[in-house]
This record gives sequence, C-alpha cells and structure tokens, in this order.
Amino acid sequence: MPEFRALLSNDSDMACRIREFDWAATSLGAPNDWPQSLRSALSICLNSNYPTAIYWGSELRLLYNDAWASVPGPRHPQALGQPAHLVWPDIWHVIGPQLKAVFAYGKGIVSNDQYLPMRRFGRLEETYWDYSFTPIAGEDGRVAGIFNQGQETTDRVFADRRSRLLLQLSDRIRTMDSSAGIMATALQTVGEHLGVGRVGYGEVDQAERLVRIDSCWASGSMRPLTGTMSFGSLGQAVHQAMRMGETFAVDDVYNDSRISEADVIQRYATLGIRSTAAVPILRDGSYTAALFVQNADPHSWSAGELLMLQGVAGRLWEELARSRSEMVLRESERRHRLIFEQARDIIFTADLEQTITACNPAAAEAIGLPAERIVGRSIADFVSPDEFDRTRSMLRRKLQDGGVTRYEVSVSTAFGETRQWDVNSALTIGTDERPIGLHAVARDITEKRAFDERQQLLINELNHRVKNTLALVQGLAMQSFRNQRSIADGQQSFQARLGMLAAAHDLLTQQCWEGATIDALVADAMGPYGDPPGRIVTAGPRVVLPPKAAISLVLALHELGTNAAKYGSLSRPEGKVELSWRLDRERALTLTWREIGGPQVIEPDSRGFGLRMIERALASDLVGTVDVAFRPAGLDCTITATLPEFA
Amino acid sequence: MIENQTEAASNVQLRILVIEDEAVIAMTAEDMIEQLGFVVAGQAASVNDALAKVEQCDFDLALLDINLNGVMSTPVAHALRDAGKQFIFTTGYGSAGSQGGFDEIKVVAKPYTIATLERAILQATGDIRRP
Repeated sequence: MPEFRALLSNDSDMACRIREFDWAATSLGAPNDWPQSLRSALSICLNSNYPTAIYWGSELRLLYNDAWASVPGPRHPQALGQPAHLVWPDIWHVIGPQLKAVFAYGKGIVSNDQYLPMRRFGRLEETYWDYSFTPIAGEDGRVAGIFNQGQETTDRVFADRRSRLLLQLSDRIRTMDSSAGIMATALQTVGEHLGVGRVGYGEVDQAERLVRIDSCWASGSMRPLTGTMSFGSLGQAVHQAMRMGETFAVDDVYNDSRISEADVIQRYATLGIRSTAAVPILRDGSYTAALFVQNADPHSWSAGELLMLQGVAGRLWEELARSRSEMVLRESERRHRLIFEQARDIIFTADLEQTITACNPAAAEAIGLPAERIVGRSIADFVSPDEFDRTRSMLRRKLQDGGVTRYEVSVSTAFGETRQWDVNSALTIGTDERPIGLHAVARDITEKRAFDERQQLLINELNHRVKNTLALVQGLAMQSFRNQRSIADGQQSFQARLGMLAAAHDLLTQQCWEGATIDALVADAMGPYGDPPGRIVTAGPRVVLPPKAAISLVLALHELGTNAAKYGSLSRPEGKVELSWRLDRERALTLTWREIGGPQVIEPDSRGFGLRMIERALASDLVGTVDVAFRPAGLDCTITATLPEFA
Repeated sequence: MIENQTEAASNVQLRILVIEDEAVIAMTAEDMIEQLGFVVAGQAASVNDALAKVEQCDFDLALLDINLNGVMSTPVAHALRDAGKQFIFTTGYGSAGSQGGFDEIKVVAKPYTIATLERAILQATGDIRRP
C-alpha cells in the first residue's frame, strides 16, 4: 500500500525499527494487513515531535515515536511491539486499570502529575507524569487501540515541592530568634517531608578535625545522634565529597563500593544507618557544616530529594547566620539597654528639633514623670526660655564644631522644683555619617551646689568667729595686764580667763554650738573653788543658754569667783557661795549669786574689769539686767533675763 | 608718737559712739579710745539700741560693728550717714564684709591695734579735726 510505505519511509529511528520489526510473529500480524485505523494513528504518532505511543489490540502491544523512546528508560528499544503489561510491570497497578477502563468504556482519560514508581536504571524511581490515554476506534467501531501522549513532570514536581518546602520552612523560621529553634524546626521539617529516620546538622571544627553535631531530629526506630565525629569516621569518601562541596548519597551501606573500610561499615551498623545522604555547606570555599539524613533501611535517593536537601542546607545556613548576627546585635542591645536602665546618671536622647526621644529611669525619676510622659516632649517644656536658648546655642555649636558640650542648666521638675543639672551632651551620628540627634548624660548637682554654698558660708562664718574670738582674747589680755600689780599677776589672771573661755568653747562644741546648760557652765566656772565640797551651793532647774550668753555667763562667774576668792566669802575657809536660778513660765530667768561667811564688804571706789564685764556682757547677751549689791554681809549679784524660745 | 597725738587730740575732745555687741571687745575699744585721749560718748550693742543712740547721743564719730548679734548693721550705717556723722566699720569678716553703698567708709578688721584704730579715726575726721 503506497500510503503505508510512505509512512514507514519516514526516516526516524522508530520508523526504521517498526519497519524492521517482525510483526507477523505477533497478534498484530504483518503491517500490510494492519487496519486503516492503526495506520492512521501510527502516521500521526511517527510524524509528531511530542512523546507519543500506541497500545494496540487486546494485548496492548506497544508502538512509539522517537520522542517517546526515552520514557521507558533502558526498556527501549526492547519495549517495541511488547504487550503493555510486560513493558510496565512496575507501574501496571496504576496504568493497567486505566488502560482497561479506556478499552471498556471508550472514553479517554487524562492524568496530571501522576505518580509512577518506575524502575528505570536499576532502581525504583519516584516519577511523575502528565499523560493521556485516548481510545482509537477500529473498523468495527469498537476500541481497537489506545493513543498515548505524555511527558515526565518529575523534575517540575520535585522543584515545586522543594519551593513549597523552602517557603514553608522560611515562614516557620523567619520569626524565630534562637539558633536552636531554627535548627530544630528545619530538621523536623526535612525529616517529616522526606520521611527519613534521622536528620542532623554538624559544624566542622577544622582545628580538631571533627564534626560537632549539636542538633538532630529522629523518628521511628532511630534515636537522635549528637556529639562529635572525627573526619572520615563515616568513610573517607564521605569526607572527601564534603570537602569538595559535593552532595554524597548512599542508597545502601552494605552495597556501595565507596563504603569499604571494615571499621566504617561496623560504625554504620552500630549507628543503625543503612542509607544516608549528606550535603556540605561551604563558606568562602571551605567546608564549614553539613546537613545529613539517614535511614535504618536502604533508600534510593532521588535527584529531587538531594536537590531539596541542598536547598534546605543553603537556607538553613542563611537563617542561622541571620539569627546569630541578630543575637549578637540583641545581646549588644541588651547590654546597652541595661546600662541605660540601671545607670544612676540621667541619660536622655533628643532629635535635632530638641524633642526628647528616649530617657532612662534615672531621668524619669529626676523629672518626676514616667518616661512615656517625657518622651515626645520638647526640652523647652522642662527648662526656662532663657535656658532653652542656651541649649539651642549649644546644639548649634556641636553641629558646627562637633564634640561634646558641657553646661549647667536649671530644670523644672514635676515636683515644682528647679534642679541644677550638669549636662554632657554630644551629637548622635547616623549610619550615613550625618547627625540625627543628640544624647546627653546629666547629673543633678543641686545638692552639691547647695553644699558648696553652705561650705563657703561656713568658712566665712568660721573666719568671722575666729576673728571675733581673737578680738575677745585681745580684750581679755588688755584688761588682764591693765592696773595689775605685776606682770606675773597679769599673766595669771589672763591665763585663768583664757582657760575659762576655752572651757566654755569645749562645752559648746560638745553640744554642736547649740547651747549649754547653766549647771554645766557653773560646774566649769566654779570648778577651781569646789574644794572642799559644799563651798559652792547650787540649785536650779535644767536651763539651756544660747552660745553667746553661755560664754558671757562663764566669764562672768569666773570674774565673780575670782573676786570672791580675793576679797569675798571664798577668801575665808568657812565662806560659801550660794548660786541659784529659776525659770518662770514666761522664760524669765533669775540667777542669784550670794556670798556668805566672808569678811565685811566695802563697796570699791571704782569697779574692776570683772564686774564691769559682768554688768555689760550679761546685760547685752542675755538682754536683761545685772544688779551687783555690795552688802556688808557679802556680795550679791542678781541677773534677770528673758530667754529666747528653744526648740 | 601716741603721746603727741593724744595731746593733740585731747584738745579737741572728739566724742565717739561705740556700737559693738561683744562686751569685752566694746570695753577694749572704749579703753583704747580713752587712752588715745578721745571721749566715749556712748555704747550700743544692738541695731535698735544703736539707732536710738544715733538720735539721742552727742557724738562726732561712731565705731560700727558690721554684724550685731547676727544682724547686719546696715540700717545704722544709713542712719549715721543721714545724720551727717562720720563713722568707721569694724568687722570680723575681713574687708570682704564691707557694705554695698558704703565703699568710701573705712573698714577696720578685728582684732585691731590701738595704732590702727587711731589712724582710722584720724583719717575719718582728719580734714575737720586735725590741727
């Protein structure tokens, strides 16, 4: 038949093979006897560049074109003319029922990404296909054969799956902070996706020549594997591949020429590993880490699985690097935050408009507002307009000259106080080298200022008192050496007066210069005359005199005592002095000095320094009156004064 | 020298008001004044006392302590100036204790010697009293 000859004169490889095939020996019979339906279908098949096959007759004997020849793998070219069930025993459970259904119902079917576990190159492969089975009607109108077109989609299916997995993995770990969490999630995702027994990640320690496995996921009969493994302990071949950056896959440890060392095989057995795949991670060309999967049973690793493993390894490395750099950053931030939070110094930041952008608890405490009620407000809210002008001019100076400015500023707090701050501030420079704001450390120096002022005041006061005391000593000296019979007498009375002054100072110093009680003053002044006991009789309540009055009283009592010892009652052994005082409700003090048992008293023509001083000093310092009476029986001295209120 | 000046001064009988809160120091000043041949015209130990004495007392010159029992004696200084009286400040504060507005008034720091006091008195009154 000329048409059929023309058809078979097609110079394709399969046309040639079909021509040469001994069809007469099959149920199809010699081509010259083939029905027109088969001839037409075959014509379309051989002229198509798309993978196309024809299953013909009840035995579904196979004819196909060049494009289809790669579909069955090494079964080509023997597959030609063979019944379908002999060609496809491995996938017959899938396509057998499909082909039968097409035959039985005369309806075509289409399968997309159909999983077909094919054994093509000596091993079972997970393959996916898009294909159609279309019935071809014979001369009698019944289905005589099946027209098949299709192509393998395994790579695309695996690529889709890989992308989905990586996407899913990224989604799960993107928000994770800890390396450990990222790792655990990645390993589990890989393990569940590939359905393997164990997934681990090891980091290379070049110095120690080992791989450190910190993270491992396991399921089924396998247990997680962690710890360290020396280079080559799972075979030199594995280590070499890792170093070279090559993925290494072993389908069956007991049936792989690359795993030959006896101790290595023993180690695999101990670890329960029958099949494994490992992907190295190289950093700057050097072996840094590895992602590995292991199974307790043999497993035929598909290219898709290995590609997926490689994709995960790359992603895992990136995510770990990100998490580690973020952790370093977080740790550094945390430390700085702690310094900021715990510093006792006031720390705040502001933008170039002088709006406060952050402040620490010390600043919040100093201002008297929570930080969130300070942040966002202008510095102008916390200082007077004059002071704000000054902070602005300081900022201008920094913008012009850079560096740090130090100045004191009065700050208004929420407590209504004005506090003095010593502020050190500098520009904050952004990543683009331009100033973005300022940061300042300040210290409240209000107390220090007050202390300094107080200190100065005290020094001035001390100077004043010393000068006054020197003037007083000068006066005592002048009076002591005046009208004395001899220098020795003068020295004696001067030393006695100076001693009294020193004793009064001691008393006052003990009481922090707040005052002294009359009985203590009396004890000091009358001490020299207290022997034998009973010569000085005292009676009076506890009364505190202010410092100046206390000194005057001591000096006055001393003068009275000296006078009594020279001329009065104390010049006789049996003589006495009665000293009594009382204080009424209006704080009016009456102090009486009465000499008893002395020689007869004659009022002197002129009064010595002692009595003059008593009258003057006590009258002045106690703001009262002093009455000295020279009674013949003895000298009487009555002092009255109104004391100031004491706390 | 003191003898000569004392004789010179004794002729003019310069009358001096002593305003000092410390009795011993006041008495010492009074003794010095008498030794110099001047007359102690009166004493005061507080601001109120001094203000009264400025009005009542017959005197030519005042020794005025800047601090009287812790109170600044500025009102007394004003009263003295208003009354057209010469005066000298005495102080334990050193020269830093002088009063604003009284820069021309001589300040004598305590303790002072009789010679210092005499020089200050003569300076303050020299133009009118020195023979």
